[in-house]
Amino acid sequence: MNRASIIFLGVFGALAFSFAGLVLTNQLTYGSLTTHVDEDEGKSFPQQTPGLAAQGKLVYQDLGCVTCHTQQVRRPGFGADTGEKSRGWGERQSVARDYLRESRVLIGSQRVGPDLRNFAARKNADGTDLTADALYRYLLDPTLVSKDSAMPGYAFLFKTQQVIGEPSTKALKGLPESLAAAPGYEVVPTARAEALVAYLLSLKDTYAYPETKNVYTAPVPEKKAAAPHGETKVEATKEGHK
Amino acid sequence: MATDSSPTLELTSERASAHPGEASAIDASLRTPLVVLIGSALVWLLIASVLGLVSAWKLHCPGFLDACEYTTYGRIQPAQTNAFIYGWGFNAAFAVSLWLMARLSRGALPGCGVLLVGAIFWNAGVTLGLGGIIAGFSTSIEWLELPGFATPLLLVAYALIASWTLVVFRAGRSHQIYASQWYIFAALFWFPWIYTIAQVMLVFSPVRGTVQSVVHAWFTSNLFLLWFASIALAAIYYFLPKILVKSVSNYYLASLAFWWLAIFGSWAGISRLIGGPVPAWVQTVGAAASFMLIVPLVILSMNHYGTLAGRWSAALSNLTLRFIVFGIVALTLVLLAWVAGALHGVAAITQFTYFTAAEAQLGLYGFFSMVVFGALYYIVPRVLGTTWASSALASFHFTASAVGVILLVASLALGGIKQGGLLADATVAFADVTKATQPYLFAAFIAGVILAVGQVAFALNFFWTLGRVAAPAVTTAKNLLSAKTEAAR
Repeated sequence: MNRASIIFLGVFGALAFSFAGLVLTNQLTYGSLTTHVDEDEGKSFPQQTPGLAAQGKLVYQDLGCVTCHTQQVRRPGFGADTGEKSRGWGERQSVARDYLRESRVLIGSQRVGPDLRNFAARKNADGTDLTADALYRYLLDPTLVSKDSAMPGYAFLFKTQQVIGEPSTKALKGLPESLAAAPGYEVVPTARAEALVAYLLSLKDTYAYPETKNVYTAPVPEKKAAAPHGETKVEATKEGHK
Repeated sequence: MATDSSPTLELTSERASAHPGEASAIDASLRTPLVVLIGSALVWLLIASVLGLVSAWKLHCPGFLDACEYTTYGRIQPAQTNAFIYGWGFNAAFAVSLWLMARLSRGALPGCGVLLVGAIFWNAGVTLGLGGIIAGFSTSIEWLELPGFATPLLLVAYALIASWTLVVFRAGRSHQIYASQWYIFAALFWFPWIYTIAQVMLVFSPVRGTVQSVVHAWFTSNLFLLWFASIALAAIYYFLPKILVKSVSNYYLASLAFWWLAIFGSWAGISRLIGGPVPAWVQTVGAAASFMLIVPLVILSMNHYGTLAGRWSAALSNLTLRFIVFGIVALTLVLLAWVAGALHGVAAITQFTYFTAAEAQLGLYGFFSMVVFGALYYIVPRVLGTTWASSALASFHFTASAVGVILLVASLALGGIKQGGLLADATVAFADVTKATQPYLFAAFIAGVILAVGQVAFALNFFWTLGRVAAPAVTTAKNLLSAKTEAAR
């Protein structure tokens, strides 16, 4: 190996090989994946994120939420993301089509906090739906909701303002004394907090695409092998919302 | 000690005898650019250490400094990573590769103006980018968080610096091309490729959906393997035989490891997407490529451990080699962890946990940085034409770095395994998982303190040494000035 030109060609070829094989091939094959048109519902999925939620995604990005939160639900048998005896982070695993409308895909790589891909579709422990108000309280001070939370507070997303006339409908109620505003004042979310919460409440992957129905799931040890060949479990649900 | 102009015995006879003063002439020509590059690398290392301490403490105590958005964890942590990678890592890699290239090619630097402009632009770009992250312009793409307004500057600066390293390579008098030169030559060419592709396909003109995730995994793994690991391997191939005065064992296999890493290693990083929302074949190919890393691992082990065999005491008594041996062991562990992480059963537990953070620290700190520390302990005194100001600080730096890296990696890895195991058990509440990892995170913070103290010792030693060299010049300049003013009177 004493000819610089040969080394150069080899070095070029080596990276060109993986560039063509991974980057270009993927771009050419599923880079042109399209949305799924559901004729029954007359809509195409995934749906566009509403305007305020799209702004909220920028807040999510600038605060670096992706540092601690993934947005990908792995298939059953892979951790406890979804399926039986799971944390119920998703009704199904995430598929490539879920991310089609996103100009920046933030699937993340750390779960210091829980996965957020299907956050808005999850229920509270008591079975009730998530509300914007509960999320505001959580963002203001996570320990109000979960004592051992590892999440920092985002008090800078809220402001204290004087009550003029009627109190704001968005004002946070029932705050402990340390966080509550002085009499005549109220704590309200800023526009960024509203956008962020709108974004979090838009995170819902509940639509079942054709490709989400035939996924491999780990064989459940049963006395009678119910699934064909004992290794794939084909869910017989029709596509659409469960 | 072997003569300075070549690392191995088979190359020594031809080179050293003909040009005895050549090495010092080359070193002298590199003095200014290397002082600038190493100096800025060390400043970034200190900044990254401080940011690392803040972010480690935040993981342990989330309420710390959370009143202000500029210091929230989601900004401090990426700022730390980017300061470490683009501030410390790149400046240090530029310095080491420039010096190695000049020595091995036997070419003095014809001038340093362009290089200095490149170094200033690079550091300006990193400063601008980090400011951007803190101010909220982060792209939120791991290892690429520097906002789009800073990265073109980095590419321009890179072109200026890398082209001069290639000028030295082409202008040199040596007709041999040694293993270290393959790695540097290739790395200099690979980095702008992967970086440009990542910037275009992720930031400036994003591709659709999770193709972004594929491009991103391709970029991050190759940034480590084809840039940082290449530069560190170049240093290992140079210093190991040179200081031990022994040729590299099984050197004929080195080229196979090089091509294998280049051709198949560049596919391996995609295995981190296992279980993710990308086509199944991508995950399978990534796993297969990761298993194939065993081949270069075996060859590199034969080269490195084979050369060290029977010479361990000599190696460990030399400060440079002590760092490099640490790095060699870390490389072995990184590649083994990489291979293991491609296994379904392992990935299901370790994915998304602190274990992956431990792997990154082992690669960037335990392998790359330790090897570069070792190289700098050899390069700096030769370039400055002096000895290190304090050998006590130098050996303290080694001890602190070694203990710090071991504690950091061990606590994150064990904490990650614990975290992954608990996360996979849905009966354990999420808050309990967080609680269970706290002792490990506290240990990681302590490791960060030890590392930071070690880096302060290193920086202190460097600037002290630099000060001693510069002192006579400063005195002369002062005398001249006072003479002038007196003459004017």
